[in-house]
Amino acid sequence: MGNLIAEAISMGWMALAIIAGLMVYFQVSISDPAVKKRAVFKAFIGMVSCLLLFMAIANYKTNFYGESRLLPVSLVMITVTTFVMALYFTNLSALLKIGGMMFFIAAFLSGYGNWLPQVEGGFPPVEEKVTWDTMSTQELADKGEEIIFGGVGKNKEQGAIGKGQCPLCHAFHAGMLGERAPNLLGLPTRKDRLEDPKYSKGDPSKRIYSVKEAFPGSGTAETVQEYIAESHACPSCYVVEGYGVKGTNDKESPMPVIHKPPISLSLPELAAVDTWMYVREGIEPPSFEEIVKSYEKFVPEADRPKQEEEKAAGATSLMADGTEPVDQIFAKAQCVACHTIPEFLGPSGQSVPSWRKGQLLHFALRIRNTKVLPNRLPTTSWNLSPTPAPLW
Amino acid sequence: MGLLTGKRVFSIMALCMMVGLLLLPIVVALPSPAIGEEAPAVGDEAKKDGEKVEKGRDVYYKTEGIVVGAPAPKTTDGPKDYPRYNFESRVLIWFANQQHLYYGSFVLAVPIFCMIIEFMGVVTKDKALAKRYDQLAYDFIKISLTAYSLTAILGGILIFTFLTLYPAFFSYLSGIFRPVMHIYALMFVAESGTLYIYYYGWDKMKEGFLKWIHLSMSVVLNVIGTLLMFLANSWIGFMMSPAGVDEQGRFLGNIWHVIHTALWNPLNLHRILGNMAFGGGVVAAYAAYKFLASKTDEDRAHYDWMGYIAMALGVAFLIPLPFAGYWLMREVYAYRQQMGITLMGGLLAWLFIIQATMIGILFLSTNYYLWQAMGRMRGAEKYQRYIKYLVFLLAAGYIVFITPHTMVMSPAELKAMGGQQHPVLGNYGVMSAKNGGINVIITTTVLSFVWYMRGNKVSTVSWAKFGNIFMGVFFVCAYINIIWLAVYGYYIPANVRVGLSVPQVATTLSCLFFMFALNSVMMRGAKQMGPIEWGKISARSQYALIMLATAFTWMMGLMGYIRSSVRLFWHVNEIMRDNSPWAYTHTVGFAANMISANVLFFWISILFVFWLGSLTAKKVPVESKAGIPGSVPQPAASH
Repeated sequence: MGNLIAEAISMGWMALAIIAGLMVYFQVSISDPAVKKRAVFKAFIGMVSCLLLFMAIANYKTNFYGESRLLPVSLVMITVTTFVMALYFTNLSALLKIGGMMFFIAAFLSGYGNWLPQVEGGFPPVEEKVTWDTMSTQELADKGEEIIFGGVGKNKEQGAIGKGQCPLCHAFHAGMLGERAPNLLGLPTRKDRLEDPKYSKGDPSKRIYSVKEAFPGSGTAETVQEYIAESHACPSCYVVEGYGVKGTNDKESPMPVIHKPPISLSLPELAAVDTWMYVREGIEPPSFEEIVKSYEKFVPEADRPKQEEEKAAGATSLMADGTEPVDQIFAKAQCVACHTIPEFLGPSGQSVPSWRKGQLLHFALRIRNTKVLPNRLPTTSWNLSPTPAPLW
Repeated sequence: MGLLTGKRVFSIMALCMMVGLLLLPIVVALPSPAIGEEAPAVGDEAKKDGEKVEKGRDVYYKTEGIVVGAPAPKTTDGPKDYPRYNFESRVLIWFANQQHLYYGSFVLAVPIFCMIIEFMGVVTKDKALAKRYDQLAYDFIKISLTAYSLTAILGGILIFTFLTLYPAFFSYLSGIFRPVMHIYALMFVAESGTLYIYYYGWDKMKEGFLKWIHLSMSVVLNVIGTLLMFLANSWIGFMMSPAGVDEQGRFLGNIWHVIHTALWNPLNLHRILGNMAFGGGVVAAYAAYKFLASKTDEDRAHYDWMGYIAMALGVAFLIPLPFAGYWLMREVYAYRQQMGITLMGGLLAWLFIIQATMIGILFLSTNYYLWQAMGRMRGAEKYQRYIKYLVFLLAAGYIVFITPHTMVMSPAELKAMGGQQHPVLGNYGVMSAKNGGINVIITTTVLSFVWYMRGNKVSTVSWAKFGNIFMGVFFVCAYINIIWLAVYGYYIPANVRVGLSVPQVATTLSCLFFMFALNSVMMRGAKQMGPIEWGKISARSQYALIMLATAFTWMMGLMGYIRSSVRLFWHVNEIMRDNSPWAYTHTVGFAANMISANVLFFWISILFVFWLGSLTAKKVPVESKAGIPGSVPQPAASH
């Protein structure tokens, strides 16, 4: 408080001095005692109001970027100032009361905003620079697994998901059913797809699908690797029966083009993904260059995502950026403290409902890019907000 | 006779000039090489020269086009792309943008009010009332005229702020919109010219055929204003949901695609309604200020009436606003589901809790004003004793509406409660209860309006008794239906529950349309218990208007912030990344402080504008101010 007053005086000493001067002037120049008393008193009120106003400004200045949440106090001070002045400066009474009312509403809403849990969106994830062409096959496969599942060795974890977001729809292991997309087990050996008449190998114009070719002149795949590349670059060039967009009679695929937003995997990243698909089944994968070449056949140069080399400014401390597996996000958010989440770590919940897998993925998306400031939470032991969103 | 003919010729010439001004930008744009005709021309030329024509695929429309623009710049944090003062550039641009938007909204909304009120004056058979309406319309346009120049100045400041702090981004955006940039500027010239002719021609064209010409001018004025707003909306629409460019952000030659993005139309509708509600709020606040500062009964009566009309217009546009908001959100979800989730269930969700609070405040203020306003009507006392029940309904609905689903707690509190949801209150934090809450609030507001409209009247139609009983039963059934559906929602799966909002909203809208219509029919030729004593309203009611206006302004700032920050770290979503040191989303508290600062600056400046307006000589275009000697003038005999 003392600091605030000192700061206010240092900022507003000239205004205060002028009002003090006026007070002296009224004292000296007005002869009628009643009028003099009124004028001096008004000057005094003006001085108090002026001090309050500068205290409010000083508080605003001090706490603008601070995390003390005391900024609305400035608005309360100004509200008090205007109402006090309205009492004594009757000529401006209406204007001051209206102003005071407005400051009061703003103070209430600002205070409310500061009272709520403080959630801040972090910077975009930093993309590390990777030298793909010098990686060993295993390193490349590990990188691929990380892109698909969010980490090495996570491919059997339920709900694990990485930047590529493949497990949102695809299953990868025997016995698992992909409800929205085919199981990818055995993909590197699916030569039969190329022989499917619907695939129309060598003559894309005869295809029955919504898109005939990845781009004009790209042609069709000749090898399994090219088939994989084409599937990523042009999902609607060939749609596996039963997995098309509803209502299109399997002529259009719901799968996004993987090298385009929002997923935007680069060709080397796609090569890493494919390498993992081979390696996990014990099949010798094509070389990195060969895989990249297979993609170049279906992705025109202008469409190829560039590797981001520039590092985004500032530190990133996101609670989740979408690359983490779902269970990790939920563990960080401590959802398991209250909720029963099947197949996830953590104590069973108490009186709150269980969450199903579909809901988990939905919630994972909801808290993406959400960072909760640790120092704004009720206790230091609870380092993440118990509620990332009001969830209504 | 000759004088009258001369005036007619002058009026028609003025109108033609306005239409000419309106068409000028289009005419100028036609031969423009940048309108999109350029693309095929370049293509043909390139073909002739045997050069390779580069084609790109539209990120939204998925059509192919010839690349005619440069790619979106890949910015880096530094003085080249992000020059700065010793302050956060984003806060500065936020401030400049918001102020321009506030003033822009105001000067676009007020002429629409003016048009409506002037039209009411022209078609009203009661000459005294017609003059009152005309005076009111004139008062409205007078306010907006002073604010108009300030809007232009703020627009200039905004452009300079962009050029100074975000040159790379602004250069890219103006490159994309180059074909329509000069149209925007010319539209602004047309708007200014039209407004001045409209304002200064008021006295000259106050009667007969000339009045119709004058009224036509207001239509032209509003067409220009609306087109201006649509163009400005296309920029923000492009930033949120780009179209007409390829993945690298290169313009593909079709400017219509760039303008007509996925979110353009819902944004247009939402903004028109929002501007009108906001404009109503500002004019109501102006009237409240003048009322509170009035020294005579005559002035109080005039500004009381003005405040009521402005409030009614503002609320009339506030009611459909949530539905336009739903459409916008639906389109957002359709465009990018993740964007919708970030808004409604993720990073920005707490801001929607503030929005819910504000919606409640708006409705509570409106109701409070109406109850206070009943005090100036003889005969309305019969409703006073029932107001406490309305208060109960509103309070109950409001408390349910703003109850969050989950709350911030310490681990000890969490343990003591046994979960994140309170065993009792937690039940009200779900959508089912909230839908019930807000529908109860809106229905109660409709009921307040119906009571206000029949305050000093007694229906004389033969079926009045039946009509009253029918209305009463209709409202009771509506409340029962809304509350029952809200309760029923707890017992059914979520996907079915979502569908319950439709019958709830339908019930509320039925009350709105059917009951207003029925009430109007019943009150036709009704016996008046006494006149409306304009000016004899409590000062508290005027503070309700101030509350309404400030809350509108705050909500506009809040929703604008939400809409803008949903792009997260993109200048142009998925096309041009923000690499400045401010490419993150601020905390809720910081945003609230910033919005408050913007709101207060706007109000302080516009109060200054009001004060400036009061310095000008009182101009009375019609003789109505004289009134009837010896009596306090009554602005309108009815609502």
